[in-house]
Amino acid sequence: MASSLPPIQSDDSKICVVMVGLPARGKSLIAGKAMRYLAWVGIPARVFNVGSYRRNNTPQPQATFFDPHNEEGERMRRAAAEGALSDMLAWFQAGKGTVAILDATNSTKERRKWIHEQCTAANIETLFVESICDDEDLIMTNILEVKTTSPDYKGQDPELAALDFRKRIRNYEKVYETIDDGEKKYTYVKLINVGSTVIINQIKDYLSSRLVYYIQNLHIKPRSIWLSRHGESEYNLTGRIGGDSNISERGEAYASALPELMRKSGIPENTKIVIWTSTLRRTIQTARHLKAETSFEKLEWKALDELDSGVCDGLTYEQIAEKYPEDFAARDEDKYNYRYRGGESYRDVVIRLEPIIMELERSENVVIVTHQAVLRCIYSYFMNVPQEKSPWMEVPLHTLIKLTPRAYGTEEQRFKADIPAVSTWRGKGTSAKHQDFPADGNEQQK
Amino acid sequence: MDTLLTAEIVASSPQFRRKSSIFVDAIHDLPEKADLAPAQLYSTESGRLFHSGRIVIITVGLPARGKTLGVKTRIFHLGDYRRATIPFGEDMPDDYFYVNATASSVLLRQKIVRKCREDIYHFLNHENGQIAIYDAVNPLASGRRSLAKEFAKHDIETLFIESRCDDERIIEENVRRVKISSPDYVSWNPEDAIKHYLNRISSRIPQFQSMEEKDLNYIKMINAGERLIVNNRSFGYLSNRIVFYLLNLHIKSRRTYFARAGVSVDADSYKSDVSLSEKGEDYAKKMTECLLAHREAEKQAMVAQGDTGYEPRSLKVWTSTRRRTVETARYLHEKGYKVRQRSQMSQLNPGVCEKMSERRIRAEYPDEVSKHELDPYHHRYPRAEASTSYHDLAVRLEPIILELEREQNDLLIIAHESVLRVLYGYLMACNAADIPFLEFPRDEIIEIIPESYQNEAQRIHIPNLPEEIIPASPEDLKIPVPASGVVSPMQGLGTPADGLATPQSGTRTPREPERISQQHVEDVV
Repeated sequence: MASSLPPIQSDDSKICVVMVGLPARGKSLIAGKAMRYLAWVGIPARVFNVGSYRRNNTPQPQATFFDPHNEEGERMRRAAAEGALSDMLAWFQAGKGTVAILDATNSTKERRKWIHEQCTAANIETLFVESICDDEDLIMTNILEVKTTSPDYKGQDPELAALDFRKRIRNYEKVYETIDDGEKKYTYVKLINVGSTVIINQIKDYLSSRLVYYIQNLHIKPRSIWLSRHGESEYNLTGRIGGDSNISERGEAYASALPELMRKSGIPENTKIVIWTSTLRRTIQTARHLKAETSFEKLEWKALDELDSGVCDGLTYEQIAEKYPEDFAARDEDKYNYRYRGGESYRDVVIRLEPIIMELERSENVVIVTHQAVLRCIYSYFMNVPQEKSPWMEVPLHTLIKLTPRAYGTEEQRFKADIPAVSTWRGKGTSAKHQDFPADGNEQQK
Repeated sequence: MDTLLTAEIVASSPQFRRKSSIFVDAIHDLPEKADLAPAQLYSTESGRLFHSGRIVIITVGLPARGKTLGVKTRIFHLGDYRRATIPFGEDMPDDYFYVNATASSVLLRQKIVRKCREDIYHFLNHENGQIAIYDAVNPLASGRRSLAKEFAKHDIETLFIESRCDDERIIEENVRRVKISSPDYVSWNPEDAIKHYLNRISSRIPQFQSMEEKDLNYIKMINAGERLIVNNRSFGYLSNRIVFYLLNLHIKSRRTYFARAGVSVDADSYKSDVSLSEKGEDYAKKMTECLLAHREAEKQAMVAQGDTGYEPRSLKVWTSTRRRTVETARYLHEKGYKVRQRSQMSQLNPGVCEKMSERRIRAEYPDEVSKHELDPYHHRYPRAEASTSYHDLAVRLEPIILELEREQNDLLIIAHESVLRVLYGYLMACNAADIPFLEFPRDEIIEIIPESYQNEAQRIHIPNLPEEIIPASPEDLKIPVPASGVVSPMQGLGTPADGLATPQSGTRTPREPERISQQHVEDVV
């Protein structure tokens, strides 16, 4: 059924996002997050990091390598930029991508002009993203991060690395030119001190405006996001999907245990936390005690409602396999894109969750009580799970997941409540009945 | 300080105020007794988005517009307060607009501003308002700072929005557009009108300081959105949405067309996603022919008028992901037009009431029926899983609306009537309460033409369709509200003029939309 319809078309415009800024200004962080976001919404994107091209020849250069008067260094850095750009153009040429992110300092007008010309000739739009930061604390945090994680300084004394890195930054400062009025024909966005001032120039297409909006919503304050499914529901007990049933007795026990589980997971002191639920009974009931005991504020989002299973709503997997055998097989074939008759696909859910992700990026500490499919989608965004895998991921009931974003990647912890529940996980090609969740908490076989 | 910013600030260009088409947040403007919040995305008891707080948007040199921000919004034009205080025919003090006015003029000015501010407090504190738009020129930094301070005392966030233009070409074009549609210049010679208008703009604002107050929240829009400078001291959710909205605004004379999907085999089931029937196929073909013929005729007319600069825009088609809408676009797809499926454009889900006759719904769910009649816009039928209200649908359609603003091509939207109602309601600034009653008979394509004061809608008749497929779709859940008197044409700006194409059903009197007044005089305080 769904496969007979014309495929979803994407717009023609290809975009090269060109990062601009001194080292330790969070360029790679922005580039990495933007790529993850694009991949999640289904837009093929890739980061081309000029530094990694340069490392092929000079794995661990000294700061003097970046001195603008060092002709040899200058030549090699130019070669690295050319290598990255030509690979990027080839990637576009091969029809593989929609957005490329060129991660480098691109700190001179001359360099930017060259990139713009190359891209324009290949019919690719450029979007310059400049990150400016004069907040010493922020720069220091970034330097600390770099000296411990950058391959340039791997195995070196951290103190010496930091010193060398600062020298390198000073070398860049000698030639650094911010984007100014002479470049007003370009599409660009300037972020000053992590978005406290933003200048947005000549945005022409919708995709760029979405990217800019996304980047603008990013912040780097420390925070965590807690994810939980609703407590076991009456429908879970009978193996039916969808519906708007109440939680079961065991589900109620989980709801009562949730406040303690939250405390166990570690809540930083004096932290404001907001609870998000869907508009369905089972999530609201699950969050009830947490709200009552903590007096956290609570929001109900329609966008967090479970994937709509259309005609199959209220059926068990066995009944679906019997009534709609072709659909059942088609869903196994491509679960991410399969849309229930009169219902939604995972892809549809991701589209409706986009505003939620934007809001999550803007927010600080949030507890989300939602449903299996929705939770898989949100989790996939943070943990960068590919589309083929995300719909099959196991997310057990009565388990609290705590995600803590770090500069490069997200840290995950799971806290299991000692309250048994059925498993609603179904392996590919089976119509397995829901099984009792093993009380000892072992992973069940897949 | 960036050279870029300072360059903009010293540019001594004439200020211009962009004339917009739609002025109230009509989609989300609520009936007073609504039991569901007007909140976008989620609901709260107070009816406000609590993680956002109350905001006053203060205009600096541009007219207010408050489209689909999703919350209860009202515009307060300072000019209206001035006119109300100084009755028509009575002279305004000569120096009223001057910075160095006499004491009596300053007192008068302060009195007018105070009254306006009090109304804003009342709206935000006692009427569940979330955004108040304070429309005045606010040319001086000192004045803006004290305004922000004043509102902060009442725990109200301020966001200044300034519009500047230094591109002669844009100014000229805008004045030309305004000149054509402004009631002020009905019988004027066009060149005189332009001259007069530009003169008026610059003389009314003797001293103007562009925003550079780093301690205030502001958005500066330069050259009609070419550049945006955002100074974010403490932006909340809504301020960020406003930035995104402004990013997607542009003035273009592109057309939007609305067409219904064809009829399908099993028309009265929402859940089963079935194909077009033979009659549906026939409709799809006739609709395509009719639209293309209309566009061709329009092109010929432009050429005949000697409009050499006329360039036909290309046409794109958006459908929902439902089979019927995709198949209705088939002929256009075959002719090479680009068709995109948009999952957000799925119709309302009637929940339990699917396939039930009105009588049965009334018998089985009397409470739901009375709730629906009280507030058809927000009411969700039971079976909460998937059942959607018009409000839910409007929220779901928000990304589509933003993209619609951004689209450069002409656009045909083929969708279910409920989706067309919401999109039409947005573009034509209909009152939220009227949206569920808009009607789109199948034998008409609606064409929306942007104009500076208000969008215009016209209907293109599709000839030779069988009678039975024309009326509102049978699968559509409809509980007509009892007639309550005569149909009064909607008045005010932002709604189509009398006799134009608002497809209003005759069973209900539309609520009087909030009065909106358009100003042609720049108010300086």
